[in-house]
Amino acid sequence: MIKNFQYKKICLGRDFLAETYLDSFSLTKVAKYSCMSQYHFSRVFTKTFGESPNTFVTRLRIEKAQKLLITENFSIGKICERVGYSSVSSFSSRFSRTVGMSPTQYRRQLRSLSNEPRRFPLQSIPLCYAHHLFGLKYQGVKRAI
Amino acid sequence: MIQAIVHVTVNVLDQDEALNFYTNKLGFEVGMDMTVEGGFRWLTVFAKAQPELELVLAEPKEGPMFTKDSAEKIRALVAEGAFGVGVFKTDDCQKTYDELLAKGVEFTQPPTKQFYGIEALGKDNSGNWFSLTQETT
Repeated sequence: MIKNFQYKKICLGRDFLAETYLDSFSLTKVAKYSCMSQYHFSRVFTKTFGESPNTFVTRLRIEKAQKLLITENFSIGKICERVGYSSVSSFSSRFSRTVGMSPTQYRRQLRSLSNEPRRFPLQSIPLCYAHHLFGLKYQGVKRAI
Repeated sequence: MIQAIVHVTVNVLDQDEALNFYTNKLGFEVGMDMTVEGGFRWLTVFAKAQPELELVLAEPKEGPMFTKDSAEKIRALVAEGAFGVGVFKTDDCQKTYDELLAKGVEFTQPPTKQFYGIEALGKDNSGNWFSLTQETT
């Protein structure tokens, strides 16, 4: 079981990553920030949060990219740059693996769902909010598997 | 397994004013600010060190969720300070308190030593209270 002082150090590292996830990722830097070795930091981080530091940073970057694709008219190259990737192809393939479609398809598909010009579709926000705040009807409830 | 909390609703009296307060005074970042079908505004903010947890700044209005009467009651309770946003963590309560105070944030309790750390209590510009806590190390 993780000790309290270790938990605090690992949380410090996580906060640091969350603040700097759009910059280039450096395990050395974050481990040093948490006063731990790279190996130890990586192991404790994964054990504590259920994902590796690298996966954590990638997840935040992809989530940020999804938001930018919805709310901004930036090119894919610009979005790639904004979320900390230097190569559009590695960004696109990572995005596709995570989201299940390319950044362009994601943007096109979401925008095509809107029934009103220059308005975002209700599907772009969490369903519970769309339902309760805005009156979106559930399309049907699937049974939990 | 539930992995994390990612959205928490904060009822506010005016979204523009709340956005100004949370970004320019508390230092939060804008997550989403967009108008969806039907003209509703989806507005979220997050603390820089915790981008995966977004506060949904929502105005209680008559609609699917609230009747006109319920919305008015909620708004009155928000203004009275009946609801809280939660606890904001800081590594230096006194310093953050001084900074926020200088920006005009209202506090109901200055930094005070508690057994779990140092805590100040503040209010957002709608009336929601929040705790500013520096945990004991």
